[in-house]
Amino acid sequence: MVQLDDTYLGRLRRRDPEALRAVVDEQGRRLYRAARGMGYSKSEAEDLVQDVFVTFIESIERFEGRAQVGTWLFGILHHKSQERRRTVVRDELNDPIDQIFESQFDARGNWIRPPTAPDRHVSAQEAGKAIQDCLEGLSPSQRDVFQLRQVEELSAAEVCKISGHTITHIGVLFHRARMKLRECLEGKGWGRSR
Amino acid sequence: MGPFAMMTCHDVSTLVSTGGLHETLLVRRLGVRMHLAMCRHCRAFRRQVETIGRAARAAALAFERELPEDFESKLVQRVRVSLIGGER
Repeated sequence: MVQLDDTYLGRLRRRDPEALRAVVDEQGRRLYRAARGMGYSKSEAEDLVQDVFVTFIESIERFEGRAQVGTWLFGILHHKSQERRRTVVRDELNDPIDQIFESQFDARGNWIRPPTAPDRHVSAQEAGKAIQDCLEGLSPSQRDVFQLRQVEELSAAEVCKISGHTITHIGVLFHRARMKLRECLEGKGWGRSR
Repeated sequence: MGPFAMMTCHDVSTLVSTGGLHETLLVRRLGVRMHLAMCRHCRAFRRQVETIGRAARAAALAFERELPEDFESKLVQRVRVSLIGGER
């Protein structure tokens, strides 16, 4: 893992190509797949990643070395993504998925419609294809949080730093994203035993 | 019946789904573990959530496979050109 100590930061400030290459090697593909997961096309995702690294080098003076490089880069990605979307879509206080989820429990908190364990034989590739369509049903913030928490496995605290949301709100967005995906995958007949 | 058994399926599935399990108090984590040991419906729910995670990671791998082998070299080149352009 690239450690941004003073020597390394100095090399990046001097725009040393080898130092830049090391960060790109470590984080480039990760940022690209995150951008794709957030809903950008191949060319948009490539542009976005390039933009992230340009901003990273230009703003390296502000980097104090306390944050992880990955968190810093994902913060830039989040910011750039919001700029591209132009309007910050505000998530509704109540999302219809909340009601769907709540309706699955009785007043005592027990399942009314118990979940069925997904088929173990569904291949990862098959599941991956199925979820790509379902991701389209998420709001941009739900999609971003899902990508960072679920795929990049960043902690809630790191996603807070990146997105500026509170820990509680990150949990709500993650829950809504997962429950929407669950509904969508069930609707596709996936997740049920065959 | 101890306090652990007081957690409902709603409590447990919400904690699993929000991803807040690691940040929650130890007593609640133990409560979730006990509940899961006893409740097959919540175990099925947890497996659904785990499967969503596996599917999302598989989709991410498919995105990565779109990239050519020289992605990093070309990216470094483009970033450097862009930085030089910005200095003018």
